[in-house]
Amino acid sequence: MKDILILGIETSCDETAASVVKNGRHILSNVINSQVQIHAQFGGVVPEVASRQHIENIALVVDQAFADAGLEYQDIDAVAVTNEPGLVGALLVGLSFAKGLAWSLQRPLLAVNHLHGHIYANMLEHEDIKFPAVCLVVSGGHTSLLLMQDINHYQVLGATRDDAAGEAFDKVARFLGLGYPGGPAIQKAAQEGQAGKMKLPRVFLDRQDYEFSFSGLKTATMNMKKKLEKAGELQVCDLAAEFQQALIEVLVEKSLQAASRYGVESILMAGGVAANQELRSLMEQRTESRKIKVFCPSLSLCTDNAAMIAGMGYQQFIRNCYASLRLNAYPSLSSL
Amino acid sequence: MLILAVDSSTPVAGAALVEDHRVLIESFINYKKTHSETLLPTIDRIMKECDCSPADLDALALTVGPGSFTGLRIGMATVKGIAMAAHKPIVALSTLDTLAANAAGSDDLVGALLDARKNELYYGFYSMREQGPEALQEAMVGTPQAVVSQARELMAQGQRVILLGDGYYRYGAYFQQELQEQLKVMPGHLMLPRAAAAGILAVDKAGQGEFEDLYRLGPVYIRLSEAEYRLKKGEI
Ligand SMILES: [Zn+2]
Repeated sequence: MKDILILGIETSCDETAASVVKNGRHILSNVINSQVQIHAQFGGVVPEVASRQHIENIALVVDQAFADAGLEYQDIDAVAVTNEPGLVGALLVGLSFAKGLAWSLQRPLLAVNHLHGHIYANMLEHEDIKFPAVCLVVSGGHTSLLLMQDINHYQVLGATRDDAAGEAFDKVARFLGLGYPGGPAIQKAAQEGQAGKMKLPRVFLDRQDYEFSFSGLKTATMNMKKKLEKAGELQVCDLAAEFQQALIEVLVEKSLQAASRYGVESILMAGGVAANQELRSLMEQRTESRKIKVFCPSLSLCTDNAAMIAGMGYQQFIRNCYASLRLNAYPSLSSL
Repeated sequence: MLILAVDSSTPVAGAALVEDHRVLIESFINYKKTHSETLLPTIDRIMKECDCSPADLDALALTVGPGSFTGLRIGMATVKGIAMAAHKPIVALSTLDTLAANAAGSDDLVGALLDARKNELYYGFYSMREQGPEALQEAMVGTPQAVVSQARELMAQGQRVILLGDGYYRYGAYFQQELQEQLKVMPGHLMLPRAAAAGILAVDKAGQGEFEDLYRLGPVYIRLSEAEYRLKKGEI
């Protein structure tokens, strides 16, 4: 059978990324131009600044993806692009470029949901995932737990009612003065500290459903900081460690509850927060004695990249799910 | 020389095919739909109508600003994608120059105005030459009051001023009141940038080899983003 080569383009937030993936599995190139340094000076991603960076970088990044893969433009079979969810101005740069490129090459355009891409990142590296599976999607914009029948079919078991996990990391890192981006900053501080020296709430852990809430934890951490500060006992690293622990325990326990309730043998993790080392190791630890295998993408495929978009695009391609040239970009989620 | 010209700097989504100094086809859509939905289907339609494929083009022409930030990027990303895949060069045109070209042949002072929100306009003043509009100053952003005082400064004895662009619509009453019989307004079909005009202007530029580097080309925003502005002022 002929190999299928898909070009993926991703510009939903602050990374301009392009990648060529063969047959939905083999990454031939994976180019990421990160703007994190630029946004760090503003203390967070500034949408207009991100869009300005994307339009200047996009052609170079895509060209590099072809060069790294050793391919000519004509060699690809389709162009996959993220069109939701994300920063709309940022999405529009990748989407418009992808449309122009696909039209010019007379290749189909494939619309990929960014979160489906994150989930698909698991398929790029693991061949032994058994479905049905439970998938924990945790990123800066989303936190949800899915029951997946296969890579294309799933139901949402629950989601966050307020802040996403990554958002909570960012906000807590900011008021603890740990800098931006929050996830890596908290993880680093937590390594220097110890969880359990004070007690923060494990929100919703006592409930029998799969809903999450992190805004209460954020407020509790804030109040704890003020209290400790007043008493002259504030150890930022200990507080960061307890916050991280409180957050990931809920993520892990709810995933386990879902896995046992639905009798699945695989738990997948997806999204930027899945790069958190403590989360990964706690999930491993807690599943060791059970017959559940945990899958997560390697660190570089947890954060935003275009290989996951090209991979998910392949699924669309083989089912002939092509997008129209009228395709638009959407900031929020239409499904999931 | 066959050029595909694209303009999405204002609420108008425009595309045209121009062969030398002849317009083969033009599409001008000033309707509710977003550029992201209309632009590429429009390009596809006009190219098909003229039995053209990207390989037939000698160049692509694009208005690069000033204008709506998002609109400029949609046009530019689309054109970059087409041009890169087809290995074709890009000619960049100022949106204000393109707009001013609507007043070709006039002896009056020409002021091209685009709505810049926040009670300001992007504007440029021109005198019309045979080869096209000649800018009398750099493109600027400023209040309607600044536009009027600039116009008064540049108007020669007995000359009138033609104002055009969506910036005129927003502040028309003010301009009429200030400039009165010195003001001339263009008919509706010449009030907004036309892709066909961009294409015609681009033919000459392409003839002189004035092409852009696809990998470096960015829109001409004139304004910093709000965040950059605040950072510069030391507010962040
Ligand atoms: Zn993401």
